[in-house]
Amino acid sequence: MIHFDNVTKVYPSQNRPALQHVNVAIEKGEFLFLVGPSGSGKSTFLRLVLKEERPSQGHVHVAGKDLSRLSNWKVPHLRRRIGCVFQDFRLLPNKNVFENVAFALEVIGKPRRFIGKVVPEVIDLVGLEGKAHRMPDELSGGEQQRVAIARAFVNRPMILLADEPTGNIDPATSIGIMKVLDRINRTGTTVVMATHDAAIVDAFRKRVVELEDGRVVRDQSRGVYGQAY
Amino acid sequence: MRAQFVLQEIWIGLRRNLTMTISLVITVAIAMALFGTGLLLRSQVDSSKSYWYDKIEVSIFLCAKTSSNNSCQKQDVTPQDRDALGEMLKKMPQVANVQYETQQQAYARFKERFSGSPGFVESTRQDDIPPSFRVKLKNPEEYKTVSQAVLGHKGVDTVINEQEILKKFFRILNGLQVAALLIALIQVVAAVLLVGNTVRLSAFNRRRETGIMRLVGASNTYIQMPFILEGAIAGLIGGLFASVLLVFSKMFLVDRLAGDVQLVSRLGWSTVIAVIVVSICFGVLLCAIASFLTLRRYLKI
Repeated sequence: MIHFDNVTKVYPSQNRPALQHVNVAIEKGEFLFLVGPSGSGKSTFLRLVLKEERPSQGHVHVAGKDLSRLSNWKVPHLRRRIGCVFQDFRLLPNKNVFENVAFALEVIGKPRRFIGKVVPEVIDLVGLEGKAHRMPDELSGGEQQRVAIARAFVNRPMILLADEPTGNIDPATSIGIMKVLDRINRTGTTVVMATHDAAIVDAFRKRVVELEDGRVVRDQSRGVYGQAY
Repeated sequence: MRAQFVLQEIWIGLRRNLTMTISLVITVAIAMALFGTGLLLRSQVDSSKSYWYDKIEVSIFLCAKTSSNNSCQKQDVTPQDRDALGEMLKKMPQVANVQYETQQQAYARFKERFSGSPGFVESTRQDDIPPSFRVKLKNPEEYKTVSQAVLGHKGVDTVINEQEILKKFFRILNGLQVAALLIALIQVVAAVLLVGNTVRLSAFNRRRETGIMRLVGASNTYIQMPFILEGAIAGLIGGLFASVLLVFSKMFLVDRLAGDVQLVSRLGWSTVIAVIVVSICFGVLLCAIASFLTLRRYLKI
């Protein structure tokens, strides 16, 4: 589903590469934790998958397509098949839960009837039954993140990228968020989650790829956050 | 593309920076009104030019006792000289039509023209007005050949080309036209810069929305359309204001001016409407293109 083929990324203003010779293959339906300290290249990895950045060297393949050969006007179609969740939720404060989730479908031109059917389903799926008409500032951090996940998943993407989704949320609530992500993963969606949260990684026992200074230093199925010393 | 969604976005955008939108509308309105005025003046000049050029005559005044020209030697023109001149004029290829006006005829016309000021008429005697040939040319531009051929001729006092008088008038109209278009151009530059600023503010205000739109895979057109339409709508409103100004200027300026200076007003409503349509289209396109170009700088796709 996602293949990194000897990828190096150097940002123009920096001399140290953000990623160096990264080779990772993520298969369909996998759940993968991307761990490592700040500045180790986790966000760059996710941005390359979205083609928000292009690699300085090497190739990134997503869903069988080489992104360096994907013309710019096709990038929106790539992004429709990838959902994104962030640490800061990125909800629209002037829209309620339903409207926030519906926004993702409206802007890709889905018909109103389809939106009216699909959005409530997804709101239920992430565990926000009965809260469709709340505004974001009336929700807790955990609930806001559920809205963000619903928005990312409402178009049934093949891949869900989550950049520190539990970074702003207390540990107890984080477990709920992880359950939602796990539920989404069980529908066959590939989930890539960048995180600092050792407890969560250790508890879930999924595949772990660790980055350090832009290099893959560990790639382990059913891994834990820190190395077992 | 869902029209309702796009319209809603435009409305939000226009409302959020209302002051900016108002100043943009005013600038566009003034720019387009001046642009339209320039076009109206142009068609006015063109139509009155062709009207007048049909009627233009070269007047060849002949010697009379009162002539100040030395070659006349304070003598009336002799009938021989007069007839010779008449024959010569009739033979010239540039001349379409020659008419002789005697002193009596000229005096009668003078009395009629200045009937409003009897004192002026009374102090003028018939002898003061010289007889003349009224020459109509095939092409008014060729008057120089005619006047040069005639000026040295015996018995000719002065040659007056009516075109020279009209030319001054047309020069003023042309000057007005250039001035209007020049100010319009300056306003257009201001409008373009204002569109740029408005769109930049708008893009900044909506960076959250556009960021999400990008992430969920909205197409570039979908992301850009509200901004471009925002500019276009401001341009349209400005253009509508401009057309109101143009209608006013037609009613209160051109028509009244035409009445005062007996300017043949060929400026019908159809011309005004054509100019309004051109101005509005120009305004809308200008704003839409300016938005599009600014977007490429301030909206990451």
